[in-house]
Order: sequence, then structure tokens, then C-alpha cells
Amino acid sequence: MPTRPLPALRLGILLLAAAGGCHVHTYQPMTGLHRPVVVDPQAPNLAGLNLTVLCVPRELLNVQDASALCQKVGTLFENQGAVVTTTVGGAPEVGEAGEVAPPPDLTVELRARQVHQAGHPLSWAATIASFSLVPAIEEFTFEQEIVVRDGSGFLLATDALRGRIVHYYGFGAWASNSLLDLTVREEADDIVGDGAERQLSADLYRQLSQAVFNAKMQAQVLRAGAQR
Amino acid sequence: MSPAVLVALAAPAHADPMPGFVHTKSQMRDFDCERLAQRDGADRYPGRIVASESRAADPDRVVVVCTERLLRTGLRSPRDEAVLGGLAPTADGIAASAAAADPALAERTWLVEVYYPGGEVSGKLGFAVKNALMSEGLSVSDRAPALGADDVAILTRLAPLEAYPAACRRYAATGTLGADDVLVGVVALDPRETVLHAGVCVDGGWTWLR
Repeated sequence: MPTRPLPALRLGILLLAAAGGCHVHTYQPMTGLHRPVVVDPQAPNLAGLNLTVLCVPRELLNVQDASALCQKVGTLFENQGAVVTTTVGGAPEVGEAGEVAPPPDLTVELRARQVHQAGHPLSWAATIASFSLVPAIEEFTFEQEIVVRDGSGFLLATDALRGRIVHYYGFGAWASNSLLDLTVREEADDIVGDGAERQLSADLYRQLSQAVFNAKMQAQVLRAGAQR
Repeated sequence: MSPAVLVALAAPAHADPMPGFVHTKSQMRDFDCERLAQRDGADRYPGRIVASESRAADPDRVVVVCTERLLRTGLRSPRDEAVLGGLAPTADGIAASAAAADPALAERTWLVEVYYPGGEVSGKLGFAVKNALMSEGLSVSDRAPALGADDVAILTRLAPLEAYPAACRRYAATGTLGADDVLVGVVALDPRETVLHAGVCVDGGWTWLR
């Protein structure tokens, strides 16, 4: 008579198989990303400003990611009234006749790097041993560097925004957090889903908008000082 | 190894503000965190972070140090929160720039005037800048320069970047600022900004510092 796996073992294998698709990731702004912001990213704060966004591929960002970031950030500033040129990697803008483009009013340089990464090997062992009821945990800390310069290259503002992403793999983490999202947590505090990505994007775009507006005002003050 | 130990190893510490079972996303945003090498953490927080002296200890071990903000998010306006959150570096930066503007002014009496909406925040800013100027070794007075109502009415109609130089000329013309005085003005130019500007008024001439 062929033997069949015990029901508990069958359930455990099912949970382990489901763990491949079950994971929860959380986002924590560490420094700068959750600083108070006053400027409204939907208002014409940068009307008439000639802006260049330079996205430098490095560590966390490959060329495709840097290009995608530049497009999104460019749209962010265009919505605020700026005339935006995006550049990936620092190549100078060349016009149709081969001439180099005139210097912009402001240049925004964006670089991202991974500051720290950690996996917990014991947590993976625990996940397997518990058929994914105990989550496996991996985390990494990133830094988004923002540098704003005026048309002559003078440094107006610099900032380093740090955040942390933690991934919890396993059916247990997904199920428990889903239950809490449905029963206890407010909708804004829900964890399961793409809330972490949306919150990170919202924080980054708000800080970028504020940094560039502050730099725009700083440039006006410096020009006023130079004219006297 | 018993299942109980495995759970304990896998469970995040309750002190970690990462949103989860203990903290919500809203509560998490009331913390400012930084990642430090364990030895640096032990130097900065002696007794609270202990670096192992064992040779077998991992030298690359890091700690995440989180500080809860004094006031819960939302109790102050975002602008006030942003300005007060960076009060110390702002005041120190203004004082350093002012002191370096002209060494010949070091013997004068320094006055501070804050042009920021809101009396409480203005008071804090003024106090912080005065303290920072004194830390630079300068002689600071609590005296406040004053202008007549007619002058104020005219100045409020000027563009911000023109108003402060004009006010400086009037301070000198009316004698409110004497030949032995220097005025540091801390200015909020636009309500959408979260940084402050500063200038010095000397003998009727205004110079923007930042």
C-alpha cells in the first residue's frame, strides 16, 4: 500500500510553497525623508525656471533605473511650472546643430547608494523549519543624495535622505499582517500591499520639491547680493 | 533548538520603530534614526550601547539609533516644525557667517532682529542666534531697533529682497542703529520655504549672508 504524507506535513509543504509568493515589505524613513514639507508639489512653485535633472547611475541605480527616475522627477518639476531637461550620467546636452545647450537656472543631481544590507541566515532556517510560519527577514538601508547648483555650478543645497526597507518572507508574516490590516489598523497604516513603495515615492518627491524651491530662493538672494 | 528560541531569534525587537505589530506607520514617523558602527554608538551613547571588547566580536557590527521627536507630528505647523527642527545648525551657521563677514566689526555691539511670522518661533530664533553670536565671542545686546509707522508702511509695500536693505538705510538715517552697532537680520522670505536667510546691516548698508 503506497504511503501518503501526513496531513500536517502536506499542510506544511503547502505553506512553504505559498511562502514564495507571500512577503511583506515595510519602509522606514530614517533621516530627512520625513522632514516637514511646506511647498505644494501640485502648485506652480517653479514657474519659468529652467531646470536640468541629472541622474547618476551608481550602485542602486543602473542606467535604466536612473532614466526612469529622471523622467518621474522631471514630470514632478514640470507640474510645478519648470522647463525641465533630464540627463543620465552627466553627458552635456547637444542641440540639433551640434551646439551645447545654455546653462540652466538650476541643476539637480541625484545619486543613490546602498548604505547597509543584512540578511538573517537563522531566520531562513526558522522559516523552513516552521513551514514559513516564522518569517525570513532581509533589510537594507539606502541613501538618496540631492545636490542643487545654480547655472554657474555654485552649490546651493545638498541633502542626504536615508531610509530602510525590511522584507519579511513567509506565509506567517503575510497572514498575520493581512489580518491586522483588515481588523485593527487604519487604512493609512496598512502594511500588506504596495503602500511602502507609494510612501517612499511620496516622501522622496516632497523632499525634492522642497529642496529645489529652497535652492531657488537661495539663488535669488545670492543674485540680489551680487547686484548691490 | 526549540521552536520558542527560533521565534525569539526571528522576532524583531519591540524597540525597533519599524511599522509592524508594535508601531504604526504614523508612530514610526515621529522617530529620527541613524545607523552607526557599534563602537561609534558606544562612544556617543556610553552605557546604553556597549561595544564588545572580545577579539571574536564582529568589527563591522552596526546599530540603529532612533530618537523620538519632542513633539508629535502635526502639533506645530510644518513650517515651524522644519525651522525649529534645524534651529541649532541654523543659528550657528548665521552666527559664523556674520562673524566672518568683516573682522573689523568684532568690536561693535551686535543686535538681532527676526522677521518671521509667529511670536513664539521668532523669540526662539532670536534667542538662539544671540547665543550663537556670543559663542563667537561677540558682544550682543537685547536692544531692538525700531522704525516709525510711516517707514513701516512704506517698507511693507516693497518686494522682500528690497525691503530689508531699505529698512537698513532707515535704521541708520533715524539713528536707531548707531555707528557702534551691527544688526543681524534673520529673514523668512517666502512662506513656502523651510530655510531662513540672514543679512547684516552696518552703517546703513545691507549685505546678504545666506
